[in-house]
Amino acid sequence: MYQKTVTISAPHGIHTRPAALLVKEAKTFTCDVMVECNGKQASAKSLFKLQTLGLYQGVSVTVFATGEQAQAAVDKIATLLNTLT
Amino acid sequence: MSFNGVVVSAGIAFGKALIMTSQTPPLDFKLLSAEQIKQQQQQLTHGIELLIHHLQHCQRHLCQECDNFQLIDADIMLLEDDGLQQQLHQHIEQFKVSAAVAIDRIFNQQAAELASLDDPYLANRSGDILCLSKRLISALHGHLQSDLSTLTDDTILLADDLTPAEFAILPLKHIKGIVLESGGLTSHTAILARAAGIPALLNYPFSKRLVPISDGEQLVLDGMTGELHIAPCEELFAKLKQKHIQELQRRQALTAYKDKPSITIDGHHVTLLANVGNLSEISHATDVGAQGIGLFRTEFLLMNAKALPNEQQQYKLYCDALHSLHGQILSIRTFDIGADKEIPCLEQTHEDNPAMGIRGIRYSLAHPNTFITQVKAILRAANHGPIRLMFPMVSQIEELEGALALIEQAKAQLIEQEKGFGELMLGIVVETPAAVLNLPSMLPLLDFVSIGTNDLTQYTLAADRTNPNLAKQYPALSPAVIQLILMTITYCKQANVNVSLCGELGSDPQVLGLLVGLGLDEISINPTHLLEVKAALVNGRYQDFVKHAHTITTLTRIEDICLAISAVNDN
Repeated sequence: MYQKTVTISAPHGIHTRPAALLVKEAKTFTCDVMVECNGKQASAKSLFKLQTLGLYQGVSVTVFATGEQAQAAVDKIATLLNTLT
Repeated sequence: MSFNGVVVSAGIAFGKALIMTSQTPPLDFKLLSAEQIKQQQQQLTHGIELLIHHLQHCQRHLCQECDNFQLIDADIMLLEDDGLQQQLHQHIEQFKVSAAVAIDRIFNQQAAELASLDDPYLANRSGDILCLSKRLISALHGHLQSDLSTLTDDTILLADDLTPAEFAILPLKHIKGIVLESGGLTSHTAILARAAGIPALLNYPFSKRLVPISDGEQLVLDGMTGELHIAPCEELFAKLKQKHIQELQRRQALTAYKDKPSITIDGHHVTLLANVGNLSEISHATDVGAQGIGLFRTEFLLMNAKALPNEQQQYKLYCDALHSLHGQILSIRTFDIGADKEIPCLEQTHEDNPAMGIRGIRYSLAHPNTFITQVKAILRAANHGPIRLMFPMVSQIEELEGALALIEQAKAQLIEQEKGFGELMLGIVVETPAAVLNLPSMLPLLDFVSIGTNDLTQYTLAADRTNPNLAKQYPALSPAVIQLILMTITYCKQANVNVSLCGELGSDPQVLGLLVGLGLDEISINPTHLLEVKAALVNGRYQDFVKHAHTITTLTRIEDICLAISAVNDN
């Protein structure tokens, strides 16, 4: 398993539109990518679940994945979480 | 069978039919058989596909970078979500319920979870989820609720009812006409449609037609006759186009009156002001040559607001309003909350009879903080231009004293906070019979009075202004209301207090002669009707108006009053 922890910088948090972009990216990978925040977990491929995590500005988030391209997937999603506004 | 609706705003509109249905069938909670469960799961899959397909269709006309496109993208993504679909299918199977019940429960659960998030911005998304849930349930039955923000064709909107808040967010660029099954002439949606200059038919039971109207059909709404033509033949269509062009020319000709002084042929001056509900209407008002604003309905600023604007935000808004008026008077009515105007961002308790409930000044006195915040913003703005402040629904001197005391509190707070402010002229909107009868006691405290004929009519005649069945038999032009208007004018003139009229009655060019003849020197009008009213003034004689008004005050029958008014206007 590969994992990375980042902080959300978007002033309004990862709301609907940035979250949708994130899901789009996650879906380009075959491996499962999970996001953990505030003690809750969700698949980065599920907008429905991702929304309930509460990805506010300043919150620390861990992204992890196993399997094919796990590292590339985690790097990509972590970067997006950190930079999307 | 031909239907005629109540016309609230004239003009002819051409467009494609769009039927807005707000009600979804009630949820059925009965337990399903194994076979029905299968069928419900199929219906779910089909409904999701249908809605996704529809949303993609809506996206076609939008650019990929715009907000709407991306928000629709997010809706599609939610619907495509494997986890969600699985959850829905499982729920149907496990609890043996219909697809609609499963959607309702799971989306509600999701919405509740979102609403509990600490971040208000993220928590607000729960409303979007509930909205998507409703649309998906409709899609199960094959109904696709149109997303109005993606309209590209000229459209005539048909709906059972439209709240003022729903009206405020319509994309008016493409909505050319509105047909509603409900609503009376002076309901607030009617007033908004008129102010926006959109032809609208109310009380038109389109769903009860023998041949139903379907989405996309070519419609022509004739706001001059109150008719709705469905897929008219070529000949009729051409005729209506011609009529439309003539109407536009007539309106064009009216623009000649814009810069003329508002004086009768025999030299009597009347100030013509405008009724508005937002900044864009203020610029409309100055475009048609209004001499100021006679009524700024501030509660319309709140209708779709997520939160009550704070003092600074309101201050800026009133300053912007003054700025676009270039030194002309701005008459602000404090928030008129209650009756048929629901404000989501404010605390309102349910009332069985809201028109007679906690509305207008009654609400303000019960919620002094909201009132003081607004008054402070207005007091500060008064530093930058002339403002008249009026209170709605005042009937009794105690209410007026209560409002005045809160103004003193607002001033004291501003002094303490070292914020500058200007002086206001203070007035009330006379809209109950009690207010008229109690005027002598209140006038010494007032700088001006404005007659609100819509509510004055409803409360005098005990006829609900939103009830379409009453609009015709209980008009503003009835002897009792005319007497109350005359009494108000007489009391004000005796006390040397400025009196004006801001109800819908003032926007009718045929009634101008009566109002001026009764002694009104100031009338506030819907910007779309201002030039017509001005034409009636400029082409009339004050002497004739006085005689005409005198005749009308002697009449006791509503029909005689109508006859007398049309007789004068036909000449």
